[in-house]
Amino acid sequence: MANVHVFCFFASYVVALGLEGLAVARRSGALRSLSFGFALAGLIAHTFYLVARSNAADLPPLLSSSHDWLLVLAWLAVVFDLTLSTILSAVGRGVPMGLFLLPVVLLLIGASDLVGEATSPAMSSATDAVRRSAEERALRGWGMLHASLLVFGIGGVIVGFLFSIMYVVQHRRLKHPRAVPNALSLPSLATLARLNWWSVIVSFPLLTLGMLTGVRLVYLSQQTQGPISFSDPLVVGSGVVWVLMVGFLVWLLRSDHVGGRQVAWRTIWAFGLVLATLLGLQVLFKGHTSAPAHRTTAAVEQSRSAEIEGTTRQ
Amino acid sequence: MNVQVAYCSHQSTPLALRERLAFASVEQLTRAYETLRATFPDSEHVVLSTCNRVEIYAAQDDTSAALTQEQVAEFLSRFHGVSQNDLAGALLWQKGPEAVRHLFEVASSLDSMVLGEPQIVSQVKEAYRVAQDNDACGPLTHALFQGAMRVSARVRSETALAVGRVSVASVAVGEFGKSIFDRFADKTVLVIGAGEMAEETLRYLKDEGARGIVVVNRSLERAQRLAADWNGTARPFEELDTWLSSADVIVSTTGSTEPIVDVARFQAARAASDGKPVFILDLATPRDFAPAVADIDENVFLYDIEALQATCEQNRRQRVREIERAHRIIDEETERFLHDIYHKATGPIISQLRAGWRKVCEDELDQLFAKFDRLDPEERQGIERSVERIVNKLLHPPLEALRDEARKGTPHGLLDALKRLFFTGQ
Repeated sequence: MANVHVFCFFASYVVALGLEGLAVARRSGALRSLSFGFALAGLIAHTFYLVARSNAADLPPLLSSSHDWLLVLAWLAVVFDLTLSTILSAVGRGVPMGLFLLPVVLLLIGASDLVGEATSPAMSSATDAVRRSAEERALRGWGMLHASLLVFGIGGVIVGFLFSIMYVVQHRRLKHPRAVPNALSLPSLATLARLNWWSVIVSFPLLTLGMLTGVRLVYLSQQTQGPISFSDPLVVGSGVVWVLMVGFLVWLLRSDHVGGRQVAWRTIWAFGLVLATLLGLQVLFKGHTSAPAHRTTAAVEQSRSAEIEGTTRQ
Repeated sequence: MNVQVAYCSHQSTPLALRERLAFASVEQLTRAYETLRATFPDSEHVVLSTCNRVEIYAAQDDTSAALTQEQVAEFLSRFHGVSQNDLAGALLWQKGPEAVRHLFEVASSLDSMVLGEPQIVSQVKEAYRVAQDNDACGPLTHALFQGAMRVSARVRSETALAVGRVSVASVAVGEFGKSIFDRFADKTVLVIGAGEMAEETLRYLKDEGARGIVVVNRSLERAQRLAADWNGTARPFEELDTWLSSADVIVSTTGSTEPIVDVARFQAARAASDGKPVFILDLATPRDFAPAVADIDENVFLYDIEALQATCEQNRRQRVREIERAHRIIDEETERFLHDIYHKATGPIISQLRAGWRKVCEDELDQLFAKFDRLDPEERQGIERSVERIVNKLLHPPLEALRDEARKGTPHGLLDALKRLFFTGQ
């Protein structure tokens, strides 16, 4: 398990994506099954990697670092892809979900490599179970809630973004049947519009709650070794993204007679901007910044071992 | 057997020209048959005019009465007011065994836009029936079209050509309609026209759960009949604009020679609606909806016959194996049909020849037995059998030659020679 590297599942997903593309081009069920197999193999390796990382940091992957957090997001996207593909295949609809989702998965994994593997300072101060105070336990709880809400909220944004792309592709095919070949088997426009709507409706409250818990977390972090500032670029950027989401939601709710394609295009722009901003901030600022220097997972491990050793001697 | 076919189909001719060459109504067909009869009195004719093809079949007993491609092109040019230049290259031509094979392929739906669609069989039957009503058929076209029905049934039963979605309507509903809506139970379906295509489309929409069906037709009586069959409502043609604005699915299959819904008319209908998606299936030829209607707004999805071609081509490719099997059946049936026809053509000559020689033998034997009246019955029978054997041996070479020639086509030369050699003056 410890030997699993990011490259293992990244390569599996690349192969799965290539096979999915070939399966669509050749309308081959066998290639689609093979693609599913590679994606599943990648998911297993991905899971092993996250478990190993979590064990090493003694933190859930959502809390340990931005690197792990992004990999959890990618992991959820693959689980969503495989689950939906299985369900749709069972009802006789061979929708090539992977063709849309796997590029995002690869993008997330690529971004995770750029953000580095440093453990969040606020969280690293709360890793020692022996010395953990009530405040630190609260910090860890709020951190978990904050990260979970954000990861599911951003997951909803990704799904909405992809459903909107599917809508635009399907719409174009239906408007220009002679220009666009019917190679992709996609859900109906009505279904895609409904799924798009629900992805907005679900992701917005999750992101809002994620923002609120984030504010609480920033407040709590002031009493830790790694306090997070309200002027932290990630905090400010997330606030901007949330305002953008509010604006988009208001427009969506007030637009009764707007065509589905226009909604899809605006979703693509809004959600695309949200994703680009969040990923860009993560890559540029390597997660939350704070006064003390970041400690790597290895350093945390080393420090904890020394402390445990000292406690044992006493 | 002299058979010719002049045809233009979706494979060779653009929709715009097919629309101009189509025989859209029974009245137009009746006039066409009158003109054909007057122009080519020694020929039998069947005109097959559908959304995807216009074909004129001709057959004659006499080789000298055989039609040429130029003659048929001239007829079409004059009848429809289309210049010969426009027809050049678009009007294809087959004769003899190839013409027979072409009809068998058409009737078996091998040449259809949607491979294996059942609709073409009834369209060929209908064309044959109308030709009969107009006294345009004869023994050759009877045999030809009855043969086509038989071949079509065989192809359907012995291959998987008819499995899955096969008609234009089913592809339209299944491939396009279901890509727009996820269900049809809550949709209003407007049917303009009450023809066979409308029924075909309604069948598939009903299968998908459509309930609210409104039929609008110039003949309210026909609309009521169709609506009753599908548990729908018939409305007068004057209410068309109202229903255009409220319908989710529009199926138009009228026989109108001009578009009945232009951009201005549909724009007005859209203005009165809430801009919801509308799925328009224009299955008429000529088209009932102006093509520019599709560009009115992003939620108008308009499909005409030609727009379905790409999907049909995909289906066709998926069924290549079945096509090969169907072609084998058609080749076999074409050969059998031609053999039967040629056998029928040579049969009377052979019978006449045998009867003539038998008569000569009987006369001679009667004279012989009158002279030798002491012969007992056994001796008489022996003589009769010997004479019969001599006749058979003498007739064998010319009849075999006739059979051999008949395998390659009607042996007109040999038949004429036999007639002159043995039945001079008859």
